[in-house]
Amino acid sequence: MSLQQISITTIIYFAILFSFAFYALSRRKAGRSIVSNPHIYSLTLAVYCTSWTYYGSVGRAATTGLDFLTIYLGPTLICFSWWFLLRKIIIISKQQNIVSIADFISSRYGKSTYLGSIVTIFAVLGIVPYIALQLKAIAYTFNLLAGLPEKTSSPLQSIVPFSPQFIDTTFIVALILAVFCILFGAMRLDSTEHHEGLMAVVALESIVKLFAFLVIGIFVTYGLFDGFIDIFSQFSALFPDKQHLLLIPAECGSGARWFSMTFMSMMAIMFLPRQFHVMVIENSDHNHIRTAMWAFPTYLFLLNLFVLPIALGGIITFNGDTTLADYYVLSLPLAAGQNALAVMVFIGGFSAAAGMVMLESVASATMVLNNLIMPIILRCNFKMADISGLLLNIKRVAIVSIIYLGYFYYRTLGESAALINIGLISFMAATQFAPALLGGLYWNRATHRGAATGLILGFVLWFYTLIVPTFIDTGWIPLSVMTEGPLGIESLRPTALFYLNTLDIWSHSLFWTMFFNLGSFLAVSILTTPSASEVDQALLFVDVSTWKQAPQNRTRISKAPTIMEFVDLMTKFIGEKQANSAISSYLGDREIDEKGSLSEFEIPDLKLFTEKTLAASVGAAAARIIIENYLSARGSKMEDIFNIFGTVSLSRDASREQLTVLYEAAHTVSSGSDLDSIFNNILDLLYRQFRFDLCVIRIYNDQDNTLDVRNFRGIDTDFLSHANREINEETCIGTTYIHNKVVLANDSDCVNKPISMEIIRQEGIKSFAHAPITVEGQPIGVLSSYSRYAKGIYTDEFIELYKNLAAQIGIAWRNANQTMQLIEASEQEKELRIAELIQLGLLPDKMPALAKHDIAAICVPAKQIGGDYYDFIIEPPEFDIVVADVSGHNIGAALLMAEARTFIQARARQLSSPTAILDALNRFLHDDLTKAELFITMFYLQYDFEKNRITYANAGHNHPLILRHSDNSFEELDAEGLILGIHTDVTFEEQFSQLHPGDILVIYTDGIVETENNNEEMFGMDQLKNAILDNALLSAQEIIDQTMSLARMFQGRRHFNDDVTMVVLKIDA
Amino acid sequence: MSNESTTQQRQIWLIFFFLGVVMLNFPFLQIFNRVETFLGIPLLVIYLFFGWPISIAVVYIFTRTIEDDDSDHSSEVD
Repeated sequence: MSLQQISITTIIYFAILFSFAFYALSRRKAGRSIVSNPHIYSLTLAVYCTSWTYYGSVGRAATTGLDFLTIYLGPTLICFSWWFLLRKIIIISKQQNIVSIADFISSRYGKSTYLGSIVTIFAVLGIVPYIALQLKAIAYTFNLLAGLPEKTSSPLQSIVPFSPQFIDTTFIVALILAVFCILFGAMRLDSTEHHEGLMAVVALESIVKLFAFLVIGIFVTYGLFDGFIDIFSQFSALFPDKQHLLLIPAECGSGARWFSMTFMSMMAIMFLPRQFHVMVIENSDHNHIRTAMWAFPTYLFLLNLFVLPIALGGIITFNGDTTLADYYVLSLPLAAGQNALAVMVFIGGFSAAAGMVMLESVASATMVLNNLIMPIILRCNFKMADISGLLLNIKRVAIVSIIYLGYFYYRTLGESAALINIGLISFMAATQFAPALLGGLYWNRATHRGAATGLILGFVLWFYTLIVPTFIDTGWIPLSVMTEGPLGIESLRPTALFYLNTLDIWSHSLFWTMFFNLGSFLAVSILTTPSASEVDQALLFVDVSTWKQAPQNRTRISKAPTIMEFVDLMTKFIGEKQANSAISSYLGDREIDEKGSLSEFEIPDLKLFTEKTLAASVGAAAARIIIENYLSARGSKMEDIFNIFGTVSLSRDASREQLTVLYEAAHTVSSGSDLDSIFNNILDLLYRQFRFDLCVIRIYNDQDNTLDVRNFRGIDTDFLSHANREINEETCIGTTYIHNKVVLANDSDCVNKPISMEIIRQEGIKSFAHAPITVEGQPIGVLSSYSRYAKGIYTDEFIELYKNLAAQIGIAWRNANQTMQLIEASEQEKELRIAELIQLGLLPDKMPALAKHDIAAICVPAKQIGGDYYDFIIEPPEFDIVVADVSGHNIGAALLMAEARTFIQARARQLSSPTAILDALNRFLHDDLTKAELFITMFYLQYDFEKNRITYANAGHNHPLILRHSDNSFEELDAEGLILGIHTDVTFEEQFSQLHPGDILVIYTDGIVETENNNEEMFGMDQLKNAILDNALLSAQEIIDQTMSLARMFQGRRHFNDDVTMVVLKIDA
Repeated sequence: MSNESTTQQRQIWLIFFFLGVVMLNFPFLQIFNRVETFLGIPLLVIYLFFGWPISIAVVYIFTRTIEDDDSDHSSEVD
């Protein structure tokens, strides 16, 4: 075939790939992705089958036999675990915005930068020969097809005569692949955005290569031969000496080799950078695994179905010449003159190689950018506002570099090694990631030092046991190293390390790399302690199912950046549009406070979000460095929240510590000590337990309308511990009191009240909090605490405790106030007792002894001090009786009563008549009564006991009764007169009456007649009259006693509601 | 899916995984590693090319028993 034909065919195929990629992208933009589909996902996984599979399987089958199958049986077996293992990896990667396998491992071990770099370097070293292998396959088959000599320097020279010498087929192929990768793999920076175009191409290529291989298989089996049985029987008939190809050699070690290759391919399918990329990073839905678990092994099975027939057919066709067995697939149709079929096979092989090169280079470029270049860029500290464009270009350069690294490897080394060997070397490299990755996925205790040691030792051994022998093959290293060991040290022979010479090269390498890798990973992990960030990440990886319940944030940011500052930071690395859409999706469901910013404890979340968003572009390790550099540049620091509860972990045991403190506080409050010592004890508790520099209790002073310092503990300064605060919003304390809520500043730099700022600055306060002290919900003061050393100590949990302490202080205050009131009450009681005694002393201490007269009186005050009064003034032949009732039962009433008594006692004898006395008394008391808003009813009776004649006057008092002995009838003594204390000029009517022997005069106050029972009925005049009538024959005292007991029985209680006074005068019959 | 059935499912997976590893490795393969042929095709080739689709069929049958996992962080992942 001519060069032009093949070139044109290849270019047409490229055009188809390009248009298909664009089609996929346009479908995606329309929201109908063709790639997000479990079958397409399974097909993209088939990027595992490279030209190494396509050509190399046949080569290996023709030369070493059946063990080529292990490369496909391994993946089939590991598929069993995918629903658990792969799904876990995918879920974690999505949660963490993981972009590569290096990112995954670095993320797991605390976003360690150097671990990411190690993985990247080893991954690139491991896959460069593999890329070289693909380029070699494309170039070789191209030349084979075009009939060019194997070592043709440049097919281009036939077209462009002056093109440089080094430009050969491979160079051009590499160039085209690089352009393709850049177009579909590095259009944007955000790697978690799926490369749909690239994936569509890979899936299409998978179909093409399977189709081509099946067609050639069927052609060989049924075209050149007569089916499977024919090939096998011809082969066994013609080449009895090659029968071992269809058996596993019985020699020692072949079982080990079989196992080693199965194991390596199991690890390779998971951890080759491109496999990790298609399986994990490009996965759009982890449920796709379910289909891939059987679809992918089926693909492998179909691809391998015709490997043996083609290999055996090749051996038969080429008479047992296996030197070019790797290319039987192509040379068989060529030999049969089927050029079109050969071109199709070439396109299939080209697809296999191109897919691998593109994905491997994109995946590796992402790792190189994120884990090698980013850390360097970040150290350089570019001042550009937006370096996302620069990063994208670096990624593009990285893609080209990796492809050309493969090209140079091919040019210098690739000619010598067989395809199959190069592939297995890469597999072994990928296997080295297994301990760190799988261990990190299931073992909490794995540390970054363990992972790094394991990886480094694994790769050193890998290099020594696999790469060094390759170098020996090319003659770079003398053969003696292989046979006698380096410097003649026999135990260090690369393929028989420590005299282990019974194993094949793969088992030997697998054993020693895993021995050192896994061994040191376990040992160092056990011997070292993980850092805090590592512990956090381990939790997210190992317990992916429970990570949402991760312990609450225990950090804060001092001088925290605002939301806009975070947006600017993101803009720098991912461009303005992406930064804006990211932040709006983040803020969508969050509460924003009045200042348009997030609460202090939300800021660390925002920081994490920013870091994760950046991680999607630049990888976890670089994102961490970006954030840290940024924060430290602006003087902000991530600080662990000062664990105010001591050494115990905040989340689990805080409640116990809280209870202890509250218990002590409550104990103090209930101790019964005086208020000052209670306050001091609580302050001391705060001060001592939480190491504040100052704790102050201020109590509201209603006279000055200020909050006055009542107690303090700690530094003694004029501004804080002695300063009273006015009630206004100028200070934080005033605000606390006015709004009755906690005001705190975890970072005193953020305080915006000028007066508070000034004080804080002068005193060097770092953080403080004020809680209102309340009694029944009303603030009575403020509890303050200040720290000069720690910021961010006021966590939500501590504030809860703090509020509780303030409440305890409130309780203590209330208790103390109640005690004060009790004391006051009891002192008042004492005074009342005295007043009572005095008042009782004012009443006549004994009844006047008057011949033929029986006199008795009683005065029962309702309270200790009564408002009733009676008195006798004897001035023979006259005998005056006064009964009065002052409204009210208080001391004021008692004093007025005493005043009235004094007046009467002093003036009664000088004044001639009751009217005159009442009139004088009214004038005398009027002002005092008006001032005290009291009044007095009074009945004044003058009795001439010789003539038995009474003269009386009444000042609004109850009408006394006379029980006439003659007819047992009652007579009310009525006389006009206003109560005392209303007007000064009152006319009192004077009335007269005659008493006869046997008559009973009863003077009383309203207390007796107005005695109420539970049905609100009054004792009333009728019952009083009955009582007197019934007991008319008894003595005066007995009449009183009986009446009183009747009244008590009536009301059902012993105690009267009003003062009760009765005076009974009985004239002996 | 209940936790119990998930655990059981995982154990069945694990058993089949190890069964597969054993049956496609030495010394098990030695049983078929003989010169004898069946219909002209060596026994080992027959065994591998029939055993392989059977193992795929086992995976297929089991994937039919799994329900879609709609959560972002399922408890079944461990």
